[in-house]
Amino acid sequence: MPPRIRGSGSQPLLLLSSLESAPSSSLPPSAALAAPLHRSTASPSPQCNRSFSTTPARQVTRLRRLFKDWCANNAPLFRYPQPGQTNYVSRILKQSDFHEVYPNQPFPNNPAFRSEPVLSETARETIWRAVMVEGLPLKAVSAEYKVDVRRVAAVVRMKEIEKKWEREGKPMAIPYAKAIMGMLPRANLTERERREGRPFEPINDIHVHSYTMQQLFVPTSESREFTRADAAKAFGDHILPPDEKMRIPELVEMERKISQGLPPPQARAEFVEETKKSEQELAAKMRARLQAAEDRRVRVDSGRFEFRFEKINAEEVGPTGRARRAVGWRYGVPLMDRKRGEIKIPTSVE
Amino acid sequence: MVVKIRLARFGRTNHPFYNIVVAHSRTARNSRPLEVIGTYDPIPKKDPYDDSGRLHKDIKLDITRAKYWIGVGAQPTDTMWRLLSMVGILPPKYRPATPSQNTQNTPQASNKA
Repeated sequence: MPPRIRGSGSQPLLLLSSLESAPSSSLPPSAALAAPLHRSTASPSPQCNRSFSTTPARQVTRLRRLFKDWCANNAPLFRYPQPGQTNYVSRILKQSDFHEVYPNQPFPNNPAFRSEPVLSETARETIWRAVMVEGLPLKAVSAEYKVDVRRVAAVVRMKEIEKKWEREGKPMAIPYAKAIMGMLPRANLTERERREGRPFEPINDIHVHSYTMQQLFVPTSESREFTRADAAKAFGDHILPPDEKMRIPELVEMERKISQGLPPPQARAEFVEETKKSEQELAAKMRARLQAAEDRRVRVDSGRFEFRFEKINAEEVGPTGRARRAVGWRYGVPLMDRKRGEIKIPTSVE
Repeated sequence: MVVKIRLARFGRTNHPFYNIVVAHSRTARNSRPLEVIGTYDPIPKKDPYDDSGRLHKDIKLDITRAKYWIGVGAQPTDTMWRLLSMVGILPPKYRPATPSQNTQNTPQASNKA
């Protein structure tokens, strides 16, 4: 147990050593005025002007005085955020305790934390218009604006909800959204921004599977062509080659065509066509899956509820009758769903 | 011993979930049955993104096996009789369920044909 100092239970020794004796002139006038009043009424001691507490008043430390000075000088700069600018301390602080501070660093001493730009309101409207009004495929919009295709899809979903709420006349937290957006760096995805600036984010990154991080020696004959597909197979049966893992493989195809001499506008038009085709195929596959599920189902309306009977095969229970995909709760095996650390993320929205 | 088609309650407190089982009538409710032919989730649910407020209940059933067990004399309980009559395996015992208007897969229609 550390030694205690009488009368200042919570103050560490370090802070005590940096205490400055406050000059008598720095005392606020109200305290000076109040002192004789207290003395005459309640306080028996002439030194203490707070009769109800024996804890000595907190003295002003050097650090606190510096902090107060800094606030007095700089607070007006941060009171109202500048339009089109972030309101971070790094706006005026160019050097932290350790190194240079960049303007996109909200915390000067943490160089790893950089605040990345978010899509502005106009950018989101642009993306929604490109997808829902102009009818461009998501992949083409993603490639056009250099925004990840998942983010494009999310923006369209959220915009659709927003527009639905507008139609229904639901109240929206516009001032809140404006205040938050006003404090973040934004990307407008304007023509000029896209021509001059960096892309908004990398769109065709490949996820690196941990199986492919190891060094592997695979004997193969010299005459054999060893492709990326072969390499993927060598790492594991379920490992996909990078060409199949990327989100927009059509983009690679387009660049290949351009390098072979096709004029870029034509290559881009073909790219849009290809992405449209691939997305239509995906949509058809999803429709077929939903239709197959619907075909397995019998719906009976009882008035209060709709009973949905799904036809299953009860004989897929495996040799022990305990197959994982077997129907119903399993017999003779413990359920781990209440165990600590089990992840219980809901899989549907209701 | 009589073979029954009945429900075996699993799930949790206030969160029932049933296995539809074929079992001997004198065996315990949750003991290992002859066969599990489906499940019944009695808690009504909404469809995601559906504002109409319509509720549905999900049932999984191996209709072929159910028909087989009925054919060899298994006796359904009242609840199971109600469920099996909905898919047209048995005639309704108490009150017939009204067939839905907008769906194609109505078992009553296929039964009459």
